[in-house]
Amino acid sequence: MKTERLKKPLFHLPGNLARMPALDSERWIAFGFMVPLLLFVVLFILIPVLGTLVDSFSLDVTYLPKRFLGLENYDWLLRDPGFWQSVRFTCLFVVVSVPLEIALGLMIALVLNEQLPMRGLLRACVLIPWAIPAAVSGRVFELIYNYSFGAANYLFRVLHLTDGPVNWLGSEAGAFLALVVADSWKTTPFAAIILLAGLSSIPDDLYRQAKVDRATFIQRFTRITLPLLKPVLIVTLLFRTIDALRVFDVIYVLTGGGPGGTTTSLSLFGYHYFSAGDFGYGSAASVILFLLAFALSIIYIRLGHFEQEVA
Amino acid sequence: MPKRIAWLVLLAAISAICCCGPRKDAVVFSVGGAPAELAFWEELIQDFEKQSGIPVELLRQPTDTDQRRQGLVVALSAGKSNPDVFLLDVAWLGLFTASEWLEPLGSDIDQSPFFARVLQLADIYQGKLTALPVYLDGGLLYYRKDLFEQFDLPGPPRTWEELLSHARTVQSKMRKINPDFYGFVWQGAQYEGLICNFLEFAGSNGGFINQENRICLNTPENRRALAFMHDLIWTHGISPPSTYTEMKEEETRTYFQAGNALFERNWPYAWALHQGPESEVRGKIAVAPLPALHDGESVSTLGGWHIGISKFSDVRPKALKLVEFITSYETQKKLLLHLGWNPGRKDLYSDPEVLEVAPHLRQLRAVFQNARPRPILPYYTQISEIVQPRINGVLAGKYAPEEALAAAEQEIAALLERYGTR
Repeated sequence: MKTERLKKPLFHLPGNLARMPALDSERWIAFGFMVPLLLFVVLFILIPVLGTLVDSFSLDVTYLPKRFLGLENYDWLLRDPGFWQSVRFTCLFVVVSVPLEIALGLMIALVLNEQLPMRGLLRACVLIPWAIPAAVSGRVFELIYNYSFGAANYLFRVLHLTDGPVNWLGSEAGAFLALVVADSWKTTPFAAIILLAGLSSIPDDLYRQAKVDRATFIQRFTRITLPLLKPVLIVTLLFRTIDALRVFDVIYVLTGGGPGGTTTSLSLFGYHYFSAGDFGYGSAASVILFLLAFALSIIYIRLGHFEQEVA
Repeated sequence: MPKRIAWLVLLAAISAICCCGPRKDAVVFSVGGAPAELAFWEELIQDFEKQSGIPVELLRQPTDTDQRRQGLVVALSAGKSNPDVFLLDVAWLGLFTASEWLEPLGSDIDQSPFFARVLQLADIYQGKLTALPVYLDGGLLYYRKDLFEQFDLPGPPRTWEELLSHARTVQSKMRKINPDFYGFVWQGAQYEGLICNFLEFAGSNGGFINQENRICLNTPENRRALAFMHDLIWTHGISPPSTYTEMKEEETRTYFQAGNALFERNWPYAWALHQGPESEVRGKIAVAPLPALHDGESVSTLGGWHIGISKFSDVRPKALKLVEFITSYETQKKLLLHLGWNPGRKDLYSDPEVLEVAPHLRQLRAVFQNARPRPILPYYTQISEIVQPRINGVLAGKYAPEEALAAAEQEIAALLERYGTR
């Protein structure tokens, strides 16, 4: 089967300005409407990001004279075991939590897409964890995992599953999984709602036709749902990946980076230096985080583009 | 109609932004803490305004120490004129003085009522007085007087070995009636308090050793201290496994206060709460200096809050009046009586009225006279961030003491090289 590239990419990159027709009055008005947003983007996103980039090239410690270092901060970072530890943790966190959240989110979306009684209420309920601030849900999970009076240990004791209380956050793997669970609880609804929007845009006719052709549920899912959902899936993946890369609040509240610094994410690593007044080094760590997110975004966008070829 | 409402909202927002700035002639005083503490500061500020006629604006900060530091670091590194006056944790003094953010308080201030050693160690920078202590802190050993009598133990332990043997005896007997009972609770979570605890276990010859711009950590004393801390949890089992995941000051305090421990290491603030009406251990406790190593002396880590004036303040003479008011005998006495804050002035420790309410101040005076500060260095916070996960990792069984200390020492050396300090 020959595929043809669609002219329309999934994401619009800035078009060729030279080829644009001269601005007539209507375009000027349209431009005028965009000015506030452009100002916002420049003031609150572009300038701070560039500022961080510039800062990452200098020694910027509150009590020392500021001086230009070039790439020296990055050189130090690459030799810092704490930095590598945080990169490893962050990547592992993304690789484990994002697929889990998307898979769970897809399941919830499929259920909510069916004709259920009180569907509207159910959809609203699913969103509750997403509406709770991460710091608050972190505290809630702190109470669940607590060693002496936590809900998890209480449940295990009542059900006679363990001999004594379990120190959930006490081992590297335990703390990691505890964070994944806490983060997934909060962000799965987000994935579910976006995927649900994607599901509801798939025409019912296709499913009816498939049923006439005696396609099984699995076949309908893999041949109709998944291919048509792919663009939305990739957008969800993109959002979740970037969000998981900069994970901070739930860790700050739940483990504080412990035990033994094993759950320090890249953003927590950078934060430690910022809050100690070492802005240059903290900025360099942030720039690396930014580059990581940027690279992954490009990959996803390419992936999204590619999927459009199946026309 | 909706358009008109939108305009009104916009106008209201603009006027709110314009009117919210602090009055220009007011002294802006930045202070954080628990709600009760902030409420009491409001009261004190009103007294000061009445007395002096100087308006003061209270800038509220969170309770969390790290967040308070961060808020001040951001304002001061931007050279902002607000806040004019602020409270500083003793651990930040090195950073604030080296960054030249503190205005010297001048030679008119009488230094004699304060603990000379504390001023010398923390507040005097390059011969100039840059801050004054408002509230002093030091690690203390709380213990259950009633259990000591019940199990016929002699007085409070003088060495860590004695503490260990008392804790084991009592714990094994108490476990029969209380499965949650532990011998000794202390702060082992990965945060600043862990460093304070470590320095006390390490004793008078351990801790951070500053040699010609090199920080030594991997010493026999420190290795022994770390092994002991690890063993308290894993070998002797007298400290709960949650020590290194959860135990900060408040977690330790509530554990001990629920009647679930024989010994507790905590700061003096716990005293008033342990003796409060809702406490399970009310009237059953006593305090003692922390134990020492069998061949050393007891060490208590100096903590507490100091007050200073910003170099960028535009109302310095008025700010100085506020500092004098807060460190005065009367105000310090009020802070002690209302909030249980241990005064930065030593003359209050012999005030009969004070001693009647807070008899434990007698012991505290000796503790403060010998308390050891954490290294007063401008890069102390960075060092602490490097060391915390290493020590916590030893408690978690991830590293051997030697391995953790050697790695931390190396990372600190790299930090100092990057700063060009070596």
